[in-house]
Amino acid sequence: MTDQVIYDRGYRTYEGERTGPSGARKAVYKDGIRRILGLGRKARDKVYPWLMIAIALAMAAIVIGIHWLIGDLAESLSEGVPSYGELFDLYSWIGLLFIAFAGPWLLIPDRTRGVLSVYFSRPLTVDGYLVAKVGAFATVVGAIYLVPQIVLHIGLGLISDDGFLTYMGDNLDVLWKVPVTTLAFVGMHGALALLLSAVIARPGIASAAFLGVLIPGRFIATQISEASFAGARWTSLLAFDHLPRVIRDALFRDTVTYPAEAAGFGGWSAAAVIGAAVVISAVLVRARYRRLA
Amino acid sequence: MGQDNVVEIAGLTHDYGEVVALRDLTLQVPRGVTGLVGANGAGKTTMLRLILGLLHPTAGGMSVMGHDPQTEPLEVRARLGYMPEGNCLPRDQTAADFVAYTAQLAGIPHREARRRSSETLYLVGLEEERFRFLGDFSTGMQQRVKLAQAIVHDPDLLLLDEPASGLDPAGRTQMLQLIRRLGEFDINVIVSSHVLTDIEDTCSWVVMLDAGNLLRSGPIQGFEQLGTVQVEVVTEAPQVAERLTRRGLKVAVDGHRLVVGPGDQTLERAILEEIAAADAGLVRMIRGSASLEDLFLLPAEEVGL
Repeated sequence: MTDQVIYDRGYRTYEGERTGPSGARKAVYKDGIRRILGLGRKARDKVYPWLMIAIALAMAAIVIGIHWLIGDLAESLSEGVPSYGELFDLYSWIGLLFIAFAGPWLLIPDRTRGVLSVYFSRPLTVDGYLVAKVGAFATVVGAIYLVPQIVLHIGLGLISDDGFLTYMGDNLDVLWKVPVTTLAFVGMHGALALLLSAVIARPGIASAAFLGVLIPGRFIATQISEASFAGARWTSLLAFDHLPRVIRDALFRDTVTYPAEAAGFGGWSAAAVIGAAVVISAVLVRARYRRLA
Repeated sequence: MGQDNVVEIAGLTHDYGEVVALRDLTLQVPRGVTGLVGANGAGKTTMLRLILGLLHPTAGGMSVMGHDPQTEPLEVRARLGYMPEGNCLPRDQTAADFVAYTAQLAGIPHREARRRSSETLYLVGLEEERFRFLGDFSTGMQQRVKLAQAIVHDPDLLLLDEPASGLDPAGRTQMLQLIRRLGEFDINVIVSSHVLTDIEDTCSWVVMLDAGNLLRSGPIQGFEQLGTVQVEVVTEAPQVAERLTRRGLKVAVDGHRLVVGPGDQTLERAILEEIAAADAGLVRMIRGSASLEDLFLLPAEEVGL
């Protein structure tokens, strides 16, 4: 016989701080990042995002290595070894494949598993939910684009013959050109991915639809834009995957003449279409979720 | 709002286009555990969503814990817990992570949310399973997690929409025990169910809806006193039945036995008077308690609530 007693813990009331709607938004934001990266999920949910991140970082490391092997940064750049602008080309495919996964994974399970009914029984508005989700998406996807560029920038600085600080001083323009180009990629691809994820119930189908609109879609838009009927050139602006690249070309060294550029559209036109796509997507996604709430 | 009422509803109507889900409801829900009963489509879930401020009434209004859910939805939801009827759990999170997350959604800081998640999952009997993924949970375990997320943030009022739905008899019993315990912890609860025995076993107050109309609202204790009376007489059973029927009472006759009512304690006196008048001879008289099901089927004026 023992003297120890098992007590019923009962239910403990809570008298502490309550953070209100801002705390709810912050919770959704943090959970969104964790969901995209597979944190707190099964191992298989971590494989894809972290593989994409590893590939993006490896690409930056390889580019730095090539510059280092050539030894002279000015020479390696003049010989076409990729730099900031070209690096976007290299891993924009990684970004595309990452977004094709992240957008549907971020939005669809909440909706199809009924979790929205729990979210909206808390002090959280539809707008607060969407802002937090988009914030989480932009944070992770933006990092996919920006972190390899930061690695490249620091790496090139370290191998520069002029010294690290001189290199940084001579390349201050990179500090705004890279974020602006990143914004173009994340804005265009993100708007499309989140819109499709808001209306399609299966993540796999939403991913396929996203890639289908961008990849075959750009070939179709390009073909039509080269036709001879009046106004055909405008369809080049529907090759959505090209538009961030047009902006990239306007800011960095022009590597390819995209159909939109051939049709006479420049960086501002591409920016206007991307901006319109973001606004249209935001309005439609908001309307969709207000009906669901 | 009276201090003893958690919800006060006045002239509430809500329609979905041509379909009127709730029609001109006026009622009060007191503190304690209240049952919201009605058949499927009676308007129970609509009422819960109106309380949450997720729907806007076509007419009328309500006060929830002193706030208007139409004009102050976030203030109301900060003080409510809600367990939806349908699935609401992500398959890819552990029970501990999800319940802690829902606590943070209600504004509880991260560390305290983790602590309360563990405590709440212990309370609902899932301490051992709290680090398992929800996709691997049985229906009964999922219902417990749904309850845990609804109470983790210490709500002033808890809304449970068909909490025993989909459970086997043992699971149903355990869920009802849990709900009774919440009442013991002074948590105000509104339980919606179409299973009347669940409400009888769990609640102190009941609100009955039928096709969007309020049938009756009152304490369960009052309903129990409205049972039928079983009578056995030596002779003249048909005559006794006829006399009681003339008094406006419901009577069923089977040989020497009669079932009279339902009705309140005045029923016995009426029966004795008519047996004496018919010189029938009383063998035995037993009062049976009314079930909510009996009362649900009665016209409101017979119950008098």
